[in-house]
Amino acid sequence: MSVDLSNVRNIGISAHIDSGKTTLTERILFYTDRIHAIHDVRGKDGVGAKMDSMELERERGITIQSAATYCNWKGVDINIIDTPGHVDFTVEVERALRVLDGAVLILCSVGGVQSQSITVNRQMDRYNVPRISFINKCDRTGANPERVTEQLQDKLGLNAHMLQLPIGLESELEGVVDLVTMRALYFDGENGEIIREEEIPAEYQDAAEEKREELLDAVSMFSDDLMEAMLEETEISTEMVMDAVRAGTLALEFSPVFIGSAYKNKAVQPLLDAVQSYLPCPTDVENIGLDLEKDEEEFAVTNDSNDPLIMLAFKLEDGRYGQLTYVRTYQGTLNKGDTVFNTRTGKKVKVGRLVRMHSDEMEEIDSCGAGDIVALFGVDCASGDTFTDGKITCSMSSMHIPEPVISLAVIPSDNKAQVNMSKALNRFTKEDPTFKTFVDHETGETIISGMGELHLEVYIERMKREYGAEVEVGAPQVAYRETISQRADFNYTHKKQTGGSGQFGRVAGYMEPLEEGEYEFEDKIVGGAIPREFISSCDKGFKKSLQKGTLCGSPVTGVRCVINDGAFHAVDSSDVAFQLAAVGAFKEGYMKAKPTIMEPIMKVAVEGPSEFQGAVMGSINQRRGMIIGTTEEGNYTVVEAEVPLSEMFGYSTTLRSLTQGKAEFTMEFASFKPVPKSVSEELVKKYQDEKKEK
Amino acid sequence: MFRAVLLPVKAACVATANDYINRGITMGKEDLVASNPLRALGLEKEDGTDGRRVGLVMARAGLGKTAILVQIAMDSLLRDNNVLHVAIGEGVDKTRTWYDDILTLMNGEKKVENFQQMVDEVMKKRMIMTFKENSFSAATLEERMEDLSQQGIFSADCLVIDGFDFSDANSASALGELKGFMEKNNLKMIWFSAVSHRDDDRVSANGVPAPCHELDEVFDTVLLISPEENDLRLKTLKCTAACSVDAGKSLVLDPATMLIRKA
Repeated sequence: MSVDLSNVRNIGISAHIDSGKTTLTERILFYTDRIHAIHDVRGKDGVGAKMDSMELERERGITIQSAATYCNWKGVDINIIDTPGHVDFTVEVERALRVLDGAVLILCSVGGVQSQSITVNRQMDRYNVPRISFINKCDRTGANPERVTEQLQDKLGLNAHMLQLPIGLESELEGVVDLVTMRALYFDGENGEIIREEEIPAEYQDAAEEKREELLDAVSMFSDDLMEAMLEETEISTEMVMDAVRAGTLALEFSPVFIGSAYKNKAVQPLLDAVQSYLPCPTDVENIGLDLEKDEEEFAVTNDSNDPLIMLAFKLEDGRYGQLTYVRTYQGTLNKGDTVFNTRTGKKVKVGRLVRMHSDEMEEIDSCGAGDIVALFGVDCASGDTFTDGKITCSMSSMHIPEPVISLAVIPSDNKAQVNMSKALNRFTKEDPTFKTFVDHETGETIISGMGELHLEVYIERMKREYGAEVEVGAPQVAYRETISQRADFNYTHKKQTGGSGQFGRVAGYMEPLEEGEYEFEDKIVGGAIPREFISSCDKGFKKSLQKGTLCGSPVTGVRCVINDGAFHAVDSSDVAFQLAAVGAFKEGYMKAKPTIMEPIMKVAVEGPSEFQGAVMGSINQRRGMIIGTTEEGNYTVVEAEVPLSEMFGYSTTLRSLTQGKAEFTMEFASFKPVPKSVSEELVKKYQDEKKEK
Repeated sequence: MFRAVLLPVKAACVATANDYINRGITMGKEDLVASNPLRALGLEKEDGTDGRRVGLVMARAGLGKTAILVQIAMDSLLRDNNVLHVAIGEGVDKTRTWYDDILTLMNGEKKVENFQQMVDEVMKKRMIMTFKENSFSAATLEERMEDLSQQGIFSADCLVIDGFDFSDANSASALGELKGFMEKNNLKMIWFSAVSHRDDDRVSANGVPAPCHELDEVFDTVLLISPEENDLRLKTLKCTAACSVDAGKSLVLDPATMLIRKA
C-alpha cells in the first residue's frame, strides 16, 4: 500500500472499439514488469492479451468486462481499469470513471474521433475526469495524428494539443519528437523496451519548433512563470512547461495528446511518463460525499488514511470463491479482518480477505488506504454501495445507470439448463445493473433485458460457456411504453356491499400528461372527502395501474394523477377498497385521455466512406429513421439519425452488405416517441389476440 | 457569449407570440408563422409570397448570425419547405441544439397544440449537413445535394449556409456556382452568414462591409447586426424588388426587454 498519495494514479483507459486499448494495456504491463511476454489481442499464438481475461473477450477480440490491474512505473503506483468501448457496455465505463481520478482516451490515427469516442468523452465530462489522449496505430496506412488532434478540438471541444510529433508515419514510423524536452525518442530492442534519446533530426526541426510554439501558446495561460518567461523571452525550462500542462489538464481546460503505436511498441513509455506527470493523484481531485445524518449535505472527502473510512463498491464479480467486490477507498484505512458498515443496508460486514487484482489474478494484501482500488471477498452488497467504519454515515453519489431498451425471452433446453441458467442470471444481474431479468407471469417465460443486441448476445454466450446452460432465444422485444396525450377526468365508485363486510370507495379527479418524469400523484382533497389514511391507497392503486397499460400491456409512463373529490363509508372503506377504486378510476380516465403507445428511439451514427452515404441514408429511411444530419470528413461521412429500436434489429448485417463491410454504426437510447398509427394498431391487435388465447 | 446572444434574439422571436398566448389563444403552425417577428423585416412580396432570394446576414463574431439564420430557416420550415442547413466548421449536434432551443422557447407557455407532433413533422423537413472548413466547396455541396435528391432521400427547397468563408479568393466564383445551382434546381432561397471585422472598414456603396463589399450584387438581401449603444440593431442594408420594405429599415433587438421593434 502506498502511503504517499502523490505517487498514486488511478486511471481508466477508454476508447472506441478496436482503437487498441487492450493492446496498449498489455504493453504497459510488459514495460512495468507485470507480465513477461506480450500476446496479441486476436492472438495468432492462441493466448490473447492479458487484460481480456474472459474467453469470449479473447475470441471476439473485444473487451467485455472491465478488468482492473495495477503496476508501478518509476515509483508511482498506477491502478488501471481497462474498459470496453462498445456502446452496449457503457455501464462498465460509467463505473470505472466514477472511481478513477484520470483517464487515457485512445484514438485510432486513421479513424480518429468516432462515435463511441464521443460517448466516452461525454462520460468523462460527466464525472469531471482529467484526460490525456493517445493517438494509437500510427503505423497504419492513412495515419494522420494532426487531423485526429483537430477532431479532438472540433468534435469533442477539447483544448487538445500534441506534446509529440511523429518521426515517420505508417510503415515508416520510427519514433517521436518530445516537444517539451525537444529531444527525439526511439524505441529499440525486440519489444521496444530500450529508449534511445537523440537530437531531433534536421528535417523535423522546423516543424518541431513550430509545434512547440503552438503548445507553449496554448499552455502559457496556466502558468504565470511560463507566461512571464515567454513575454520576456527568457529561458523556458522543461519543468515550467510540464507544470503548465499539468495545471491545465487538472483544471479540465487542457488535454495533452500523445502519439505512437502500441502494436509496434512505439512510444508507450512516454505515455506512462505522461500519466505520472499530467494526470491527478487522489489528492488532486475533489470527491463529494453526502452526509446522511445531515439530510444529504455535501462534503468533500479528505483523502487522508487517518480519517474515518469511506469506500465505494463499484464492481461486483461472482467468481469461484464467492463474490468479489471491487472498492475504491476515498479516506481512511481498511485492514484485513476489520468490520465495515454498508450505509445503504445498515448491515455490518467483516472483511475476511483483501486482494489487489491483476486482471483475473489476485494478490493478497493486509490493508489498503485512501486512494487505493482493491477487492474484498465475501462481502454481500450491490454495485454503488458505500462502506464506512461506523464513525461516519455517508454515501458517495450514485452512479448514473441507463434503463435497458431491449429484451429477449430465453428458454432453457432442459431442467439442468434451467438450474444453470438461474445461477447465471443471478450472477449477471448482481454484476451489471443494466442487465435485468424477470419472469413474465403470463407466459412463464424468463425475459432478459439490456442495452443492445450485443449486450444480450454476450450474456447468452456466457451462460452457455460459463454455466453450461444451453438456451433458445425468442425474438427480441422492444420496451414499449404507453402514455396519455390529454387530460381526462375520472369519477369511479368501487362498491361491493352485498351483506357482511363490504368494500366502498369513490375516487374523483383527473389525469394529465406529465412532461418530465414517469408519474406524479397530487392530493387536492378538501373537507375530508377521502380520509387521510386512504390517500396513499389511492396512490398505490394508480401505481398498480401503471404497470400494465390497456393498449398493448406495456408500462404506462408520463402521467400525473390528481384526486380532488371522493367518498367513503364508515365501515366498508378500507385500504383495499380505495386501491381498487383508484384502479377503476385510472381505467376510466385512461381511455378518455387518448393513450398512445411509445417506442424507444435510438440515436444512430453510421460512419463510412462517402461513396456509400446515399445507400446508408436510404437504409435508414427504410427503417422509419429520421436523418438529422451528416458530417463530412475527407472521404468519410458520418450520418446521424434517430431510428426506432424495433427497426434496428439485424442492421449490422444490412450495413455490412451495403457498404462492403467498410461502414460501422453505433447507437444509444435517445427518447421515447409515439409509434405511427399502423404500428400502434398492429401492437394493439397482437395484444388483444394474446389475451384472447389465454 | 453563445447563449447571451442567442437568448435575446430567440426571446424576441416569441415576444409577439406571447401576445397571442396572453390572450389565451392556442397556437398552431400558422400562428407561429404569422407572429414571427421576422415578418417585420418585410422580406415577402406584397402578396405575402416569397421571392426567390439570395440573402446574407453579416455581423462581427458572436453577435447572433447563426441565431438569425436559424430563425429564417425555422420560418421556412413552418411554411412547409424542406430546408438544408449547411454548417461549416460546426457539428451536427450544436446546430441541432439551436433549432431545439428556439422551438422550446416558442413552446415556453405550453400553448402550442400538439407541440411535439408539430416538432417531429417540422424536423423531418430539415437536414443538417456539416463540413470542415477545408473540405467545403460548392461542387461538393452540389454533388451531395444531387445525390440526396436523385435517390429520393431529401430535396431541399431552401438552403442555409452558415460559416462560408468570404475571405477566400474563390468565394466569388463559388457564390456564382451556388446561385446557378439555385436556379437550376428551383430553390426558393439561399441564406448565408458572414463575419465582418472591426479592423476592416471597407464597405460597398450599399454599406455592405468587407469581406462582402465586392460581392453585394450577388445578394438580393443583406442584413447587418450591429451593436449600437445599449441595443443590437438588425438593419436591412439591401433589399431588391422581392421585398415590401425599403432598404435602410432597421429593427432593434433590445437586450433589456427582449423585444424587436422598428426604428
